Amino acid sequence: MIRTQISLSEGEYSAAKREAARLGISLAELLRRSLRTALPVNDIHPWMRYAGMVETGDARSSQSIDDVVYGRKD
Amino acid sequence: MAGRTDAYVDTSALIAFADRSDTYHPLFRRLFAAPPSLLTTTLVVAEGHAWFLRRYDRTKALVFMSMIEDMTPLTVAAVGPKEQLGATDLLRRFSDQDLTLTDAVGLHLMKARRLRRCWSTDRHLGLTGVSLVVNER
Repeated sequence: MIRTQISLSEGEYSAAKREAARLGISLAELLRRSLRTALPVNDIHPWMRYAGMVETGDARSSQSIDDVVYGRKD
Repeated sequence: MAGRTDAYVDTSALIAFADRSDTYHPLFRRLFAAPPSLLTTTLVVAEGHAWFLRRYDRTKALVFMSMIEDMTPLTVAAVGPKEQLGATDLLRRFSDQDLTLTDAVGLHLMKARRLRRCWSTDRHLGLTGVSLVVNER
């Protein structure tokens, strides 16, 4: 990791802090994620920037899609 | 990437690729990093979009749509009456299973286009004997 300093407006800072708190991550992690989305990570395979774009915390996430999309059976 | 389609892509493969918590995320990250020619359907895209909408919000759901647009090796096939008919036959054949119409259309397309591989974590997509990439060594 490389440490760096950036300057944000007060509005940007408080909005970023709020979003980080909502996602349960640090401000630094939020900025890293934002950067990953903004940068042309891979010009040959541009879809790779979406790899791991979310973190549900559910190891079986891809196996419970029907429950989320169609709802669980009673 | 050109030439014959190599595999069918199910919603679960797209979610496993996007969700870094998923057990199969490393596998699909690796597979999508060097993909062959792939096929999916508008129903799979609709399911993926709905998953992001339900689980997150409309912004994330739109990011998912951008992901699909950027995935140029992935062809999104339209689903019409012919595909629906083929899928309904499969729903009747496997009426003891909780198969969704999206799954059944996928099974029908794999059969119609003679695809032997499926990128999915859903066992339903292996019902007709197609090889699921998660079971390959």
